Amino acid sequence: MSPPASRLQSRLQSHAAALHYPPKLITVATEFLYGMNAMFQGLQFEPVQLPPQSAALRAEVRAFVEGELQADYLRNSDFNAGESVEFSQKLGQRGWIGMTWPKQYGGAERSFLDRYVVTEELLAAGAPVGAHWIADRQSGTQLLKFGTEEQRQAYLPRIARGECYFSIGMSEPDTGSDLASIRTSAVKVDGGWVLNGSKIWSSGAHMNHYMITLVRTTPASASRHAGLSQFIVDLHDSNVTIKGIRNLAGDSDFNQVFFDDVFIPDGSVIGEAGNGWEQVVSELGYERSGPERFLSAFRVLVEFIREVGDNPNEAQLALIGKLMAHLITLRRMSISVAAMLEAGKTPITEAALIKDLGNTYERLVPELIRLLVPSETSSRFRNTLHQCILHAPSFTLRGGTREILRGVIARGLGLR
Amino acid sequence: MNQQQLITDTIRRILHDLCTKEMVDSAEQGRWPAALWQTLEDNGLTLAGISEAAGGTGGDLADSLLIIREAASVGAPLPLAETFMAGRLCELAGAVLPAGPVTVAAGSFTLAATDGGFQLSGEVRDLAFGQWCTTLVLVAGNAQGQHLCLVPMADVLQAKARTSTNMAGEPRLDVQLDLLLPETAVFASSEDLQHQLYLLGAATRSVMMAGAMTAMLELSVAYAMERNQFGRPISQFQAIQQQLAVLAGEVAACQRAADALNTALVPLNELDIAIAKARIGEAVGSATDIAHQVHGAMGYTMEHTLNLRSRRLWCWRDEYGNDNHWQQLVGRLVVAAGADKVWQTVTDAA
Repeated sequence: MSPPASRLQSRLQSHAAALHYPPKLITVATEFLYGMNAMFQGLQFEPVQLPPQSAALRAEVRAFVEGELQADYLRNSDFNAGESVEFSQKLGQRGWIGMTWPKQYGGAERSFLDRYVVTEELLAAGAPVGAHWIADRQSGTQLLKFGTEEQRQAYLPRIARGECYFSIGMSEPDTGSDLASIRTSAVKVDGGWVLNGSKIWSSGAHMNHYMITLVRTTPASASRHAGLSQFIVDLHDSNVTIKGIRNLAGDSDFNQVFFDDVFIPDGSVIGEAGNGWEQVVSELGYERSGPERFLSAFRVLVEFIREVGDNPNEAQLALIGKLMAHLITLRRMSISVAAMLEAGKTPITEAALIKDLGNTYERLVPELIRLLVPSETSSRFRNTLHQCILHAPSFTLRGGTREILRGVIARGLGLR
Repeated sequence: MNQQQLITDTIRRILHDLCTKEMVDSAEQGRWPAALWQTLEDNGLTLAGISEAAGGTGGDLADSLLIIREAASVGAPLPLAETFMAGRLCELAGAVLPAGPVTVAAGSFTLAATDGGFQLSGEVRDLAFGQWCTTLVLVAGNAQGQHLCLVPMADVLQAKARTSTNMAGEPRLDVQLDLLLPETAVFASSEDLQHQLYLLGAATRSVMMAGAMTAMLELSVAYAMERNQFGRPISQFQAIQQQLAVLAGEVAACQRAADALNTALVPLNELDIAIAKARIGEAVGSATDIAHQVHGAMGYTMEHTLNLRSRRLWCWRDEYGNDNHWQQLVGRLVVAAGADKVWQTVTDAA
């Protein structure tokens, strides 16, 4: 050991070396005081700082977004709220889609922390990121991790250019949280598979090019998670029918998608047939831990602060402070998970925890703000608030319901 | 092994052996836990993070926050936070902290120059662990500015004091100060010591709450797994699992908010401290609610150790400003910057 730098260090060293303080027998009472420290260490969210060089990237993204969005654009920080092919392609040109992927597939070989900076800047500004969002966040990541070399070359560069968009094909009319119960199935034929069934709640399927579709390729057995595969389905195939479903806000964003004898060539099976469950589970760390899980209501908070202006009352100040304290803490936790992803870990419990806390928070924002609005408000504020309230039910459903997430956390605690 | 790990292992072993339920109970009956304090002091753990010039044992500020958090997680009835705060103020004012347990008073005090010293006056309320401490450190003002005063508790206790306990059964003291201090016990400072004291109080209470809530989660998970009802451990019921998942979320957020304080004391980061005290203080209500609900009537007894945490949490959330106070402070900073700077404030809080 190096020479002690302080009296504390010297005492600790002598303690460790000479057992200055000898251990005694453990009493029952002290076991109680300590609970089960040895077995359960809690969930780890290591304090991580974004690297200093990310500041330049942040400034670049911020300036770009300011220049792109019109002043009268009604901003909303829900990732699902707006899409623009033109905007996505401009992001692609700047290298801000598929940022963490290898250069040979059109990526920028940047870190997850850099990607974090770009995504949070886009969301906070309420930029229309809906077109490429899923392809960037999870479809491309799936193809990179599990896809064949041909698949990587065929799709990733187009995704990274902001030209190729994906939908998620998991839920079905009779299958929501219980994903292993899907019925959409495929039978093997010469050179590929014939697909039949239906997927639902597929955001943007009417505008996107492909859907990564979870399919049962061998009949359900004792292991419900076996026999599932993921296919890349061409949404423009003539045997694919897409029907829009209006949500309660009046948007036609999500769809039901029908497959009637759709031929899927062998080359469109992601990785190996039968590996679908493992692939789906590996997405969860990416899908659940990002800033989109707590920023959906961010513009409501910003517009509320604008309405309050220079003359807030104490209740308004406390509410703003409370919502900011939650937001800043959530963001710090989310950055911790981005660092875990960067380190190659799969923080599924931590991601579920961030999504649950973050969704609870973004549901709370409009509920608490509406009680403290000034008597006169702008139509801009009211529109932002009302849009958030109308979309809020989806926050705690999409990407895993509150109940499923809490089940995942309970498993992480060792309860099940 | 890094220093933080070494400290964690050392303090856990000491607390494990000496901070027993019987010891905490006897402290509630008024007995000073001298052996525990002495062992911590002998191991350099009562003034870690304070420079040796100011009477401390050196190391990082994060070391002292870690020690305070660990001690709080078992409800150790010691003025560790107060002694650390006093040491930090001594560093700022160029004073040297005397040995032994120290307490701090956050009230408003006046200092008048007299022959060969100063007359100190003011009212101390809810002085933490005052009866057990050797020294009282406080900040007093006069026309020349703020001064740090080191007052022997023996002198303080010359006056008639009203003793009481807080909800956790820890000793508190109200006393009227009117005593003469020698010049050597008074240190003028250009720092805003009052402000420092209040923020250090909020910061230490924040890490203490994070530690106690972590322990409550551990206890609750363990209890749910060993308590059988309807023929199986209650941990197997979804109603219990979902409650504990919510508790785990609150605790994880509190831990992360507390971790941010490792770099928030020097230079003093008012926003980070305010966020921590607001976020953690707010969580105490739901966290104690869930932990007690899971423990059932057993957790409501004096016998069970859950109350060593929950009763302290109900005190700490209100000391040095409750969550509403700190929320308003955060709100003021955000509103002053304006709506177009909200996101900047979020990203600057690294």
